[in-house]
Amino acid sequence: MAEENRELSEREKQLVVFHLSEQTYGTDIASVYEIIRMDSISRVPRTPDFVEGVINLRGKIIPVIDLCKRLNLTKTNQTDSKWIIIADIAGITIGMIVDAVSEVLRISNDRVEPPPPVVHGVDSAYLKGVAIVEEGLIILLDIKQVLLKQEKNELKGLRLESA
Amino acid sequence: MFSDTEIGVFLDELNEQIQCINENLLIMEKEGAKPEALQDIFRAAHTIKGSSAAVGYEKIASLTHEMENLFDQLRKGALPLSSFLVDTLFMSLDTLYKLREEITGKEVEYDLGQVVDSIKQCLNPGLVPASEDVRDKGPEDLNQQAPWRRSTLETAEEEVLMEAELRGFKPYWVDIEIDLGCQMKSIRAFLVFEALHQAGEVIKSYPPAEDIQEGCFNDGFRVLLLTIEDPDRISNLLMTISEVTKATLEKITLNYEVNNHKEEIPGPDKDPDKDIEGKAARADHSEIKAAQTVRVDVQKLDNLMNLVGELVIDRTRLTRFMEIFKDQQGTSSGELVESLNEISSHLGQITSDLQEQIMKARMLPVAQVFNRFPRLVRDLTQKLGKKINFIVKGHETELDRSIIEIIGSPLIHLIRNAVDHGIEKPEERIKMGKNAEGTLELKASCIENHIVITVMDDGRGIDPGIMKAKALEKGLIDQEAAGRMSDREALNLIFVAGFSTSSEVNDLSGRGVGMDIVRSQIEQIDGIVNITSTVGAGTTLTIKLPLTLAIIRSLMVSLEDEQYALPLANVVEAMIVPAREIKKVKQSEVILVRGHTLPLVRLSDIFGLQGGVDPDRLFVVILGVEDKKAGFVVDKLLGESEIVIKSLGDYIGKVPYISGATILGDGKVALIVDARSLVKEIWFDDLIQVAS
Repeated sequence: MAEENRELSEREKQLVVFHLSEQTYGTDIASVYEIIRMDSISRVPRTPDFVEGVINLRGKIIPVIDLCKRLNLTKTNQTDSKWIIIADIAGITIGMIVDAVSEVLRISNDRVEPPPPVVHGVDSAYLKGVAIVEEGLIILLDIKQVLLKQEKNELKGLRLESA
Repeated sequence: MFSDTEIGVFLDELNEQIQCINENLLIMEKEGAKPEALQDIFRAAHTIKGSSAAVGYEKIASLTHEMENLFDQLRKGALPLSSFLVDTLFMSLDTLYKLREEITGKEVEYDLGQVVDSIKQCLNPGLVPASEDVRDKGPEDLNQQAPWRRSTLETAEEEVLMEAELRGFKPYWVDIEIDLGCQMKSIRAFLVFEALHQAGEVIKSYPPAEDIQEGCFNDGFRVLLLTIEDPDRISNLLMTISEVTKATLEKITLNYEVNNHKEEIPGPDKDPDKDIEGKAARADHSEIKAAQTVRVDVQKLDNLMNLVGELVIDRTRLTRFMEIFKDQQGTSSGELVESLNEISSHLGQITSDLQEQIMKARMLPVAQVFNRFPRLVRDLTQKLGKKINFIVKGHETELDRSIIEIIGSPLIHLIRNAVDHGIEKPEERIKMGKNAEGTLELKASCIENHIVITVMDDGRGIDPGIMKAKALEKGLIDQEAAGRMSDREALNLIFVAGFSTSSEVNDLSGRGVGMDIVRSQIEQIDGIVNITSTVGAGTTLTIKLPLTLAIIRSLMVSLEDEQYALPLANVVEAMIVPAREIKKVKQSEVILVRGHTLPLVRLSDIFGLQGGVDPDRLFVVILGVEDKKAGFVVDKLLGESEIVIKSLGDYIGKVPYISGATILGDGKVALIVDARSLVKEIWFDDLIQVAS
């Protein structure tokens, strides 16, 4: 909690706002490397369900996860023209599939509230808070938690099962 | 203070210079004190002294200072090259290594006392007779040692001689000896010079002309003469001067290649064989041109390689775009299309060249690894009381640096084994009717797309019968298996963990962990190791390595709509198999290929995909790892391709049966199948299938 407080103590945040399963999410712009249109993804067998595969980003091989599956959200039926947010976290570059990316938003910290225990079925461990804007709620996602903590265990678990 | 980078450069340089001294010492130990070798050593020691003093490593500086003194004496010919001296020098080198490790923090404080004492002992004429003492004993002992005999030519003088030779003059060393009892040496010398001036032109003399004419010489002197007259005539003329006991003329052969090395003119008394050897060595020497190098961080090279990879992909895209563009524009703007086409193909050409050059920049000559071995063999043979002629061939062969890093340790093992177990003691060899000196050959060569390294000895060889017996005794195989085993298979038992044929365990080899580790290290870098042996005639180990680990040739196949790469090194063959030829043995599918039953696995099952385009005709790729083979069903065969191996990254980590990924020409990603673990696990029934 101390870390979160410190991060929230800055006066203002810049968020990349995106849509996922008909909800609006936001994440700190600092960890977003770029946003690309979803192109062909090569599947990698024997990886967790939420790992969609790998893509070629200018000569680098980048893993791509489906954020919907990762957060256990119900999939929307709109499948065409999805986007991939490329994020760089703790030295690992990763792509996350989202339904759409709408804008970059500046919000002051006093509009951010701590997360309720469960927001639309998403575990609060993955959330930094909720921001209230004119259009409604923006759920602030903690990408670091989403990407690193659980996955490592799950990937490990998968390998243990197979061993 | 100095930065880490500067210290790093200093350490690298130190390594190179130590290596240089090491090599030249080995040459000198074999062939005697050759001036080129000495010159190189002296220069290396001097460089170390200078740079270590500059960086502030006083110990290294003081040690090399002592070494330099010793080399200087050797160079002047004031000290003979004794075996004690060579040992001392090797000891000093070892100390230098230790001191280097002291800097890198691997070694605690090291005391110089002992080495410095040894060097001082070498320098002390009381213990090792210096050549000056020898000279006074009489004319018979004059042979090699007298310093004035080892006359050398300055580069400028060489040029004068070359010019003169073009004008028809011939250069000679004139050696004059005058009776020891002579009372008027200066007069005799004056007469000699008079005679020589009539015959031609005196260029220089040892000792200097003024000294000679004042009689300041012992019993003889040497003059460099340019003349067009007959040498015999001059010699006769000189002999007419009284009290001249000897006057010989020796023609100087000029080395026309202008290099910076001083040339030694062999003295007249030298053994003629040695003379020829010296000349040959000199010719070799002048061929080696100092390579101009720049140190580059490996990371930078890797980055360059990645950038080129991107360029290659863009080139492919450009070509594709060109085709579309041509179709759309049609004939309306032919000129435009034409020049665009030209640019595109030129860019393509340059990209290919760039790729090749960067690949080459990552390569290093195997000499990097091979250079340590002569010393290793020397030390081992001395320790074991054997005689071995160690031959190294093909050290200029180039390998990817990542392979170079790994190949060293298995090679050390193989060489140790050969010296320790392979080659017999001299007495034993003589008894067998062989040359007392064993031969050990280490050779690297480039064969097709592979580098082949062989370690070949002419020792006692390996008896397959004994191998089988040992394996039985250790419970590695059973009686039945031993009966079925061919000689080749029996020899390969050496690579099985826990197998060692040496009955005595020593600190050199024979701990029984050797060969299986050698094999696994070599396989780690996609290499194959093979052994052949004839009892009584020797053993040959052959290591076949890929040129590079970054790029491999592979067979591209498809499963569903995705491409997979199968490393060509593991592909035995590809074929179409009618469904009815597949047999079932205990739930598992097998096929019969030329009399061999091979397990058959559907790759789509392993990767959890929907397989089978045509259930009646199956595309089967036979993959082989060592002696094991298995068939794999794929959807389609797409052909061969050269691919750049990339990692899947830390996030996904290790995926079973996938060794990496590659980017295809169209920008898509294809996965590389890990044939090694796949085939092995099928044979050991460990295969984990995913129900589709």
